[in-house]
Amino acid sequence: MRVIKQLMVYLFAMVAMLSGCSTTPENPEWVINEVMVVNENSYMDSYGQRHPWIEIYNNTARTMDIGGRYLTNDPDHPKKYAIPRGDALTNVKPHQHILFFADEMPLKGTFHLNFTLDSTKENWIGLYDNDGKTLLDEIVIPAGMQADQTFGYEKDGLKYDEEGNNTAQILDRVTPSSNNAILEENLKVKYLEENDADGGLLTITSMLVVFLGLIVLYFFFKLSGNIAKRMSQRQVAKSGTLSAVRSHSHLSGEVLAAISAAIYELKEDQHDIESTILTIQQVKRNFSPWNTKRQSLRELPR
Amino acid sequence: MQTMNTLLSLSDNLRTFWSYTGFYNAEPEHLIMILIGLVFIYLTITKEYEPLLLIPIGFGILVGNIPFNEAANLKIGIYEEGSVLNILYQGVVQGWYPPLIFLGIGAMTDFSALIANPKLILIGAAAQFGIFGAYIIALQMGFAPNEAGAIGIIGGADGPTAIFTSSKLAPHLLGAVAISAYSYMALVPVIQPPFMRLFTTRKERLIRMKNPRVVSQTEKILFPIMGLLLTAFLVPSGLPLLGMLFFGNLLKESGVTRRLAETARGPLIDTVTILLGFTVGASTQATTFLRVESLKVFAIGALSFVIGTCTGLLFVKFLNLFLSREKKLNPLIGNAGVSAVPDAARISQSLGLEYDPSNYLLMHAMGPNVAGVIGSAVAAGILLGFLY
Repeated sequence: MRVIKQLMVYLFAMVAMLSGCSTTPENPEWVINEVMVVNENSYMDSYGQRHPWIEIYNNTARTMDIGGRYLTNDPDHPKKYAIPRGDALTNVKPHQHILFFADEMPLKGTFHLNFTLDSTKENWIGLYDNDGKTLLDEIVIPAGMQADQTFGYEKDGLKYDEEGNNTAQILDRVTPSSNNAILEENLKVKYLEENDADGGLLTITSMLVVFLGLIVLYFFFKLSGNIAKRMSQRQVAKSGTLSAVRSHSHLSGEVLAAISAAIYELKEDQHDIESTILTIQQVKRNFSPWNTKRQSLRELPR
Repeated sequence: MQTMNTLLSLSDNLRTFWSYTGFYNAEPEHLIMILIGLVFIYLTITKEYEPLLLIPIGFGILVGNIPFNEAANLKIGIYEEGSVLNILYQGVVQGWYPPLIFLGIGAMTDFSALIANPKLILIGAAAQFGIFGAYIIALQMGFAPNEAGAIGIIGGADGPTAIFTSSKLAPHLLGAVAISAYSYMALVPVIQPPFMRLFTTRKERLIRMKNPRVVSQTEKILFPIMGLLLTAFLVPSGLPLLGMLFFGNLLKESGVTRRLAETARGPLIDTVTILLGFTVGASTQATTFLRVESLKVFAIGALSFVIGTCTGLLFVKFLNLFLSREKKLNPLIGNAGVSAVPDAARISQSLGLEYDPSNYLLMHAMGPNVAGVIGSAVAAGILLGFLY
């Protein structure tokens, strides 16, 4: 049992080492994804008017309700605009967007904020959790944004790149309430079509991974099997039976049978000392559930 | 005059009714598919080809190909959103059924043959070449990489895995892939033996393998836990299948969840099998199924089984080069690496008995057979990782 415990400790240590300790910041669950500060000829609200807008992206694989959270452009006033609760439209589907107009007209509805954005200065925008204290995401839009220009992330929800740098930038395309990066096709498939047209590379890689996975299993169960065998031998040895003698000696079954017969006869005192030839016939028990007739009963299709 | 009007409206009503009947809407393609469904049912009942699956699939083909007026929006077709069949079909489209079937498979599978002789696991890996061999062939035949992956998985000889993978990679090929996978699984007794004879010598077929050791309960409990951790860490995309397979096995081996294990391997798997088979059959509507691509899928599917069988057999021969005389493996167990549990292992047994009536290979063949299930789930995970 101690050996198994040791084995488990080593295994967990190995997994912990392999899992690594990444220091790259994680992309938040809600991302302020794209912001337009000066809206002259772009997206209109349902009243037919143009205002600055803020697009927020649900960066998770589940539908989330943004209702009850707070949007603000003032770090000292985190609860500036409370996004109304109980509006079915504040449920955002996985990897989808929701858009708010910064028009200082909150009475127009859920999606109209009580503040606006100013292109002449730097605009800080923050999204706070229901407690009004936990900052979920923030973005700083530089001063001097041009009309109908947006600032945000080229790939939706991808705030940080692999090195941990913030990827916010002025975007080439204006895409309110839709993906910033338009995926016309499966990039993985496109890559394979271009670089591995005959499939050889994918085949070799995949077979290596399949073998690797099953080789790891093989080594683990080889090791655990050896441990189990040793443990069962020890248990048998402790019990002091004939099997125990057999497990610790190199005597054959026949020799052990002869010794056992001699001891039995001596103990029972059934014979005088005689010169005899002892014939030992091995009894084979061939039956096993694996070779029952039932296992072969299914007829092959004709 | 009134009588005339009544007769005219009656005639109109009958004409409208006629336009709703299957007879009016029938196309030759529907009749071909119905014929295919009847052949499935006939073969399954008379020859017992995978009856538990092919009867639901065969009957599903009949149901799915009853012609009706699609323009009338009756919400009865499997592809009409909100229809009963469509709701049941979501289990296939969204991939719910295959992991539930894997739960049942885990709860009914005894992995002790594999634990006792772990090198048999490697045969299950070698036979997965059928999947990737078919992938290469599909690419050569003009399929896109994601479609080729969906077709290749037929070589895993594992229906739930094939359905799960193709529903993600190429949903439009799902019907053809599922029918092909289950048909060839039923036909392994016909497909495999010629290649098993071709690639083995008489001397090899007579090899007697050492009886496997007895496996302790602790090892049986460790197997699903470690199996999950070691494989799912490597291929997380295979998690739905691997997770449920090993979970089912832990229910069986833990010894304290007998009721759960019995439900998983009994009523649950039976219910899901009925729903899966029936809806896959019904999804083969003539309009979506009878295409040249489907024929190509069938052809590649057959080749994938052959490739998997051959690589499994040859790999055992390769392993034998490194094994001592008393530890040599009988190459007849190599075919079992393709999965198709337990038919492929039974073929090893019956072919072995044909050459030596006292050489029982079933227990040895079950090792690569169940390793094939794990191997094909891992391979599916890899395909999803690369192509989805």
